[in-house]
Amino acid sequence: MAKTILIVDDSESIREVVKFTLENEGYTVLVGVDGKDALKFLDGQTIDLVITDLHMPNMDGIELIKHIRTIEAYKRIPILFLTTESQVSRKMEAKDAGATGWIIKPFVPTKLLEALKKVIR
Amino acid sequence: MSIDKFKDKFKEEASDNINDLENALLELEKNTTNKDLIERVFRAMHSLKGGGAMFGFTALSEFTHNLETLYDKVRNGLKVIDRKILDITFEAADHMKSLLADELMTNNEIKTKHKQLAANIESLISDDTQTDVIPKSGSSSESSIKTYYIYFEPNPDIFANGTNPLYLIDELNSLGNCKVFAHFNKIPPIDEIDINKCYTYWEILLATSTDENSIADVFIFVEDQCKLEIDEVADNDITIHADFIHAITRLAIEKKDVGIVEIKNLIKKLKLNANVALAELNEPEKRIESSKVKETTISSIRVSSIKLDQMMNLVSELVTTQARLTLFAEKTNNTELNAIVENMQKLSRQIRDNAFDIVLIPIETMLIRFQRLVRDLSQELKKNVVFEAIGAETELDKTIIETLTDPILHILRNCLDHGIELPEVRKKLGKPEQGKIILKSFYSGTNVHIQIIDDGAGIDPEKIRKKAIQKGIISENDELSDTEIFDLVFMPGFSTAENVTDVSGRGVGMDVVKRNINELRGDVVVDSEINKGTTLTIRLPLTLSIIDGLLVRIDNDLYVIPLSVVNKIHVVDHDSISSKFNNLIVLDGVQYSFFVLRNELGYKSEPPKTERLILVSYETGLVGLVVDEVFGENQAVLKSLGKLYKNQALISGATILGDGTVALVLDTNKMIKKFSKNSEIIN
Repeated sequence: MAKTILIVDDSESIREVVKFTLENEGYTVLVGVDGKDALKFLDGQTIDLVITDLHMPNMDGIELIKHIRTIEAYKRIPILFLTTESQVSRKMEAKDAGATGWIIKPFVPTKLLEALKKVIR
Repeated sequence: MSIDKFKDKFKEEASDNINDLENALLELEKNTTNKDLIERVFRAMHSLKGGGAMFGFTALSEFTHNLETLYDKVRNGLKVIDRKILDITFEAADHMKSLLADELMTNNEIKTKHKQLAANIESLISDDTQTDVIPKSGSSSESSIKTYYIYFEPNPDIFANGTNPLYLIDELNSLGNCKVFAHFNKIPPIDEIDINKCYTYWEILLATSTDENSIADVFIFVEDQCKLEIDEVADNDITIHADFIHAITRLAIEKKDVGIVEIKNLIKKLKLNANVALAELNEPEKRIESSKVKETTISSIRVSSIKLDQMMNLVSELVTTQARLTLFAEKTNNTELNAIVENMQKLSRQIRDNAFDIVLIPIETMLIRFQRLVRDLSQELKKNVVFEAIGAETELDKTIIETLTDPILHILRNCLDHGIELPEVRKKLGKPEQGKIILKSFYSGTNVHIQIIDDGAGIDPEKIRKKAIQKGIISENDELSDTEIFDLVFMPGFSTAENVTDVSGRGVGMDVVKRNINELRGDVVVDSEINKGTTLTIRLPLTLSIIDGLLVRIDNDLYVIPLSVVNKIHVVDHDSISSKFNNLIVLDGVQYSFFVLRNELGYKSEPPKTERLILVSYETGLVGLVVDEVFGENQAVLKSLGKLYKNQALISGATILGDGTVALVLDTNKMIKKFSKNSEIIN
């Protein structure tokens, strides 16, 4: 069965690249433009992975991750975040919020898929 | 005793030898210079020759003698194993099998083959020029392979971050040869277990050509959430040394964890580091070998399968009689008798489990045939395919294994023919040129799952749909899910291959495969993605003869539902279910469809006020079955219903209860499928 991945990013180009790469690999992709927008998908439907940016208007990535972890159905799903700064503090903040791992921007599709393989099969 | 009696023994032994020969050859193909393997091939031939002469298989003996001469040359370094030698030895192994069956070569075909092969072998012996040498697989990179010791203990709360540690270990596995030792000693007593926590930790030996950094990269997301140690312990691949792995495994079971110090000691002791090993290779190896031989002679004996069948029958009778005894003791209400009966019950249960264990044999025993098929057929079809078996130590009832071999061979043939594409095609699609077929087996409850996974072209559901419409199996406006469409592959007379080839695609086969598996009370499903590959999953019960069941009553009749499918039992009011529209009921906040068995099976009597709804697992999820009363667990010795009832699908057999009454064993899967077709509730 195709796995469902929710991607959340305020940059349209990033959304397109990620969506294209993942759909090419056979995943079903849901797209949110920011944290708040992504909430509408968290209705209990099966989501196998969330990939989210950290800097976003309305609701940022950290807050979204925290929110996802409060929902029973998504307590243990993997969450990857996209980050430009490889600053340790930001990473730790996201991990403390419940993120599984990260992908450093800018990235090439193979990099993205490599990171994906670490968290879902 | 007549000589014939010995002859049979020899035949048995000889086919073991040929099997071993084939096995060694398959390995030798991957590693053409391995002295041990050549020695193994030589040994197998030698015993065939010796035994053959003794028991009057003269042709076999002479034939093997020539082969032996050839391999003697190889052994002494006068010849190098190449494809020609391997091919001819494989052919010879096949020929030896026919010689065993037909020692006097009454069949002309065998006779010609014999002459031709003998001539070929002889020309190989005299021919000293070398051609077509198979390149040693990875010999150049082999030297750079190192073995690392990895200690990985995730923090208990690692799941909260959505990490699955098993994926990380899987990723390690993809880096090279990997031996994983999981430790469970930190798991607390069951009432203190928090299912949201991870208590397992691992010790891993990884032989890889990548460096320490790329190993550490695997753990990059979790490095601050675990205890991690990565150390180089040897300058070659030591995971291939069976004795070493054996010793470590034993340590891992005895001790909490093995630890790097212990591993380093062991490596020193067995002299596994290359620079040390080379100097003293011969001496320790011989010692290990002799101890191995001793071990095998005492650890197993050969028993004829007839004796085993007899024993299984007796055990079945014992279980039935035991049930009667238990019932009688209950009625008599004599405490002394009760105590004895209770003990007896425990014993007979143990005997039952033990007897089951004896007739279980590992799937490994089928593997050689599969490997041969993949090797031969991929060469014939000019495809590059590697066959891998995962979990081959999984055990199944021997009768199941016997019946299963042919269906799996057929499936593999299909994979090779239709699944895996030609190397050029694969290259164009951006896939590795070498295709892969994986045979994966594992336990799931009282079932065994066997998956045949290929990374080939996959099945196009649209293509199947069109074909099925054309063949009149479904109609134009039937709405089918992908799963249902894949299921059509198993319909009689269905074949989608555009060019029917010699190998498969005659349209007979997949339906037979399914029927064979169904007869074993198993199931088979296909999942596929275009250009990604196909996964075929066979689900089988562990054994055929005795099942643990749930004894229930409908009206005045008793039925047994296999415990393996039972999920939960609810008490329901008759009024509350009879008023339900569409046969749907909400239990614990989840909606289930259900069937009232007394209606479906045609009972006309008045139903009781309160009934029991049993949730059983079905292909699409849980489904409720309503019965009058549930009595409890029951060991059911399955007896077939006989020929006359062969065509009904609801009942998989009957069992005799302690008091002599007969209870019917329900096949819930087929039953639900049939009922839902009638009412069109579940598709």
